[in-house]
Parts: sequence; structure tokens; C-alpha cells
Amino acid sequence: MRIIGDLGPYCLTSEGLREGPCAREVEEHRDLGYGSFNFLYGPSAGGLLESVGFEIATYGESIERIGHVPYKGRQIKITQLPVEEALIRVERINGAFAASHSISFLQAVEKAFEAEVPYEVTVSRMAQLELERIRNNLFVIQRVLESASFLVPSYLLLQQVEEVNRTIARSCGHRYFFGANYPGRVECEHEVPSLKIGDVEKILENRIFIDRLQGNGVIKEDNSIGPAARASGFRYDARLDSDLFVYRDFDLKVPTQDHGDAFSRILVRLEEIKESLRILQELRVKPHTFPMRVRDGEGIGRVESPSGDLAYLVRIRNGRIERAFLLAPSSVNMRLFLRSMPGNIFTDFPFNWESFGIWISELEVDLK
Amino acid sequence: MNWFLKGIRMGVRTEKDYHHETKWPSRLKRAQEGEVKCPTDAIGEEWRPERCIFCRACEPLFSPTGETLTPKVERSDRTFRRSFYLYPLDAGSCGACNLELRLISSPQYDMTRFGIFFTNTPKHADALVIMGNLGKRMEEVIRRAYDVMPSPKLVILLGTCAISGGVTGIPPDIRGDVIIPGCPPTPASILDALIRAKGGEIP
Ligand code: SF4
Ligand code: SF4
Repeated sequence: MRIIGDLGPYCLTSEGLREGPCAREVEEHRDLGYGSFNFLYGPSAGGLLESVGFEIATYGESIERIGHVPYKGRQIKITQLPVEEALIRVERINGAFAASHSISFLQAVEKAFEAEVPYEVTVSRMAQLELERIRNNLFVIQRVLESASFLVPSYLLLQQVEEVNRTIARSCGHRYFFGANYPGRVECEHEVPSLKIGDVEKILENRIFIDRLQGNGVIKEDNSIGPAARASGFRYDARLDSDLFVYRDFDLKVPTQDHGDAFSRILVRLEEIKESLRILQELRVKPHTFPMRVRDGEGIGRVESPSGDLAYLVRIRNGRIERAFLLAPSSVNMRLFLRSMPGNIFTDFPFNWESFGIWISELEVDLK
Repeated sequence: MNWFLKGIRMGVRTEKDYHHETKWPSRLKRAQEGEVKCPTDAIGEEWRPERCIFCRACEPLFSPTGETLTPKVERSDRTFRRSFYLYPLDAGSCGACNLELRLISSPQYDMTRFGIFFTNTPKHADALVIMGNLGKRMEEVIRRAYDVMPSPKLVILLGTCAISGGVTGIPPDIRGDVIIPGCPPTPASILDALIRAKGGEIP
């Protein structure tokens, strides 16, 4: 059994819910004393993609302590809404992971309704999740390259991100999967992006680039998820332990690395792009509908988003959402990032930050 | 091989006409008569793109034309003809607007050929590009960014959340000189808007 993260008042594990929050180490708050000072980095600083603040304590060069200061948080209310109306809000919690959010939310709803999901729908969802993973992993690598000032390769990656977005638009009608999934229906067609992965591999062989990332932001923790877990040798992946998909039929390979540093996280993401492309080529996708009977109930949905496990717990009464909780992968990754930072110097901040693939939108959302 | 040579070998990837057919978002047109239940009240006498989140709930009464949405440019400034520096400010977005804005620098669109650049500080910015709803602690951040910008300056609202709030919150309290509808707006509409805001012509 592995601990995944807090889902509302519960702790989600690979074997289901446990009462109360997940147990974790208490952070010790050592007083830094003479010569140290605190400063706020952000909230709208050049180089950051989203608005976010960090309170950093330092003696001058190396970061001693770091905390997250929220700024952009939105409150999004879905309780009391019918499923369709809740869904258009769920899609907009994190646009970059909209397929992961909407699919996981719909799985929770389907569990609550005790609905049978046809194989075709499951396969279409897998294709969306793999496309989303490819886009996001390319984007994470691009962000790291940009923060290391490798501009030509960074543009090459952006070109591929755009290529994936166009593929998603051809497949599902929208570049971020908005409106692609409904209760009882999926809209997408079969499309595979044409990418130049060989070029990306060559970039990552650059010695200067490797030196910047190796040994940077090391974190090896059992309670971790996604690429951050796999980069430190833990073979954790919701695709391996979820019974809501059929990845086993496709002989999914889950790459791992041992060092747990920013470079390992990038290597894991690169390998994942190749594996996702392979799976995508084997899936046969077309639009599909299926009947669903509305009833009262509660269910959990969980997918492997590009940054790790993403889950919803949804309770439905009289066709409306009675309560809903979200486990956003970015909240687990933010904890890992903050723990990986002390001892690193400030110039390492951007690469390390980008290597976790954290989205503030889903992390700071207050889902009601 | 060195990157410079490799770049030359790869040839030109930039597209002369960067407009592409995308269904959602694109201009919607009425296809059938009938009452529509729109979550953002985007359908009154006519369809109002600046309120639309392109959720497809009005299909098949309305259908997407695939045509790039036209931004509303209420004020442009030819001072920025040669160089136009943007300071992106995320007030509380879902992240997709941020990503689409980044993508105008991808080789396919290549914003720099039109003299458009990003800057890391509002002090060097000609335009403030605001995306998302008004986040919990963002009001002050927006005001401060706007105040330190040198004049002349433009405010660009990117995406439905920033223009009218959409379904996830309220918009920031600031008037936009340029309004780019979409959820999120496509890179093509963003580029069209920016070129017109700096007094240029869309290719
Ligand atoms: S797409 Fe959605 S938001 Fe736009 S007009 Fe139709 S129903 Fe309204
Ligand atoms: S307008 Fe749409 S894409 Fe942009 S931030 Fe709002 S919800 Fe996200």
C-alpha cells in the first residue's frame, strides 16, 4: 500500500480511503538567528508562469528555509449544481490538466451512479490522458531549458508543444479538452502528434545542461507521487493500480531513475513521452455514448495526471453534487518541492521549480 | 552539431499565415431557432463572445464556424509600432490562458517578427496582459504593476475570465483597451489582437 495524499478529511491510499489526514513528518522550524534575512519572491515575478509567492530565508546565497505564499487562489463552487454544470467548472480548475480533472471527476460520478463504462470510452480517456501527458512533459522540459537560458532548444520544444495542442484540437475540438467529456459521452477522434523526440533527446545530452540540473533539488520520499516519485526510484503510478483503465492490455512501461534530482525528473518525463506516444499509437479512438442512470451515491475517481495521482471524491443526491473533494497532484508536489529546496542556492531555484511541473491554479483552488 | 548550424538546417518553421481552423473557441453562429440555456448569459439579442466560455452547451442551436475570433481593439498606439513589450499578469487563471500566451513565441507564430516581446518587469512594459479571475490577493498586485508602467500604456484583457468572469469567479476591476475573447483565446487571436494594438496590420 502507498500513501497518495489528503482527499478532503481523508487520506487516500492505493487501497482506498482512511479516516483523517495522511501522517507526515512535522517540519522543524529552526531559528536562523544573526545574519539571516527573509524576502518574498513573487507573486508576479518575471520567469514565473503563474502568480505565486515564496517566502525565503537566507544568509545570502543558499536557501535555508522556504514557504509558499498563496495569491491567485480562486473559490470555485460546484456543490448544489447538476453534474454537467459542475463539469464545466472542474475543467477550468487547471486547464493544462483538464483531461485529468474531468476524467477523474466523471469516474467518481460514474462510481456514484454505479454505471458501467464501455471499453471504447475507457480507451478514449486513456488517449486523452496520454496526449495531455505528452504536452505537459514537453512543456516542463521547455520551461527548464528556458530557465537555464538554452533558448534555441527551448523554442524547438515550444514548437512541439504547439504541435500537440493542434493534435488535441483536431482530436477533441478544443486545445485543452474543454467540452470533450460528458456524463455518458466522449467526443474525441483518433489523432497522434508527429513529434521529433530524437531532437529532444539530443538536447538533454548537452553537458552544460546536465551539470546545471544534476544534484539539484534532491528529494527521495516514500510519500511522493508521479514523476517526482519515479525519479527517486519509487515505481508509483496510478495507471498501474487503478482498475478504471485497461493499461495492462497495453503492457505499460513505467520508467524510473535513482537520483531524485531535477535531472532525473526530466529524464523520467522524456521516457514517459516515448511510452505515451507508443500507447497512443495502439489505441483506437472514436466518439461514443452510453446510458447512465442518475441515483444517489458516492464515488472516487483517480487518474495519473502528468504530475502524478489526481483524485476526486464526489457525493451526489437528487442529481446534484452534495459534496466534492479534490486531491490535486500539485499540492503533493509543492510539499516535495519545498522540502527539496533548503541547501540549494538561489540560482538553482528556477530549474528545480520547473522540474516538478506544479500548477498553482489547482493547488490554490478552494473547491466548494 | 552546434545549435546555430542545426537551426539553419531545420529550415523555416514559422507560418506566414498563422490562422488555423479550430472549432472551440471560434466564432459561433446560430444554426437553429430555439431557447438556449447558457451558463454565462452569452446569448441575448445576439451572441456575445466576450461572455462565452465555449462550453458547447448551446449546440446544435449554435455551431462553431472554425473562424478565428476577432478581438476588440478599442485603443491602439502606433508608438509601439516597432517594439511592443508585454508584461503578462496572472490574476487567477486556470493556467490555459498563460500557456496559450506563451505559445505565441513558438516558432509557428514567432511573435518577435512582428516586434512583440515579453518583459520580466512592468517598468519596461508597454502593455499589461491580464488573465484569469480576480484571485484572493491580486488586486493590489495588479494596481502596483499598472502604476509603475511608463506611459503610454495599454491594458489587454486575455480570456473570458479576465473580461467578464466566466463560470469560475469575477473579473479584475480594470478597464481593458484591448479585449481578447476565448476560453482560452487561441494563439492566432492573441497575435491578431497584439498586432492591431500596436497599430499594425494582420497578415
Ligand atoms: S458555448 Fe456555452 S457559453 Fe458560449 S454561448 Fe454557447 S452555451 Fe453560452
Ligand atoms: S478564460 Fe478560460 S482558459 Fe482562460 S483562465 Fe479562464 S477558464 Fe482558463
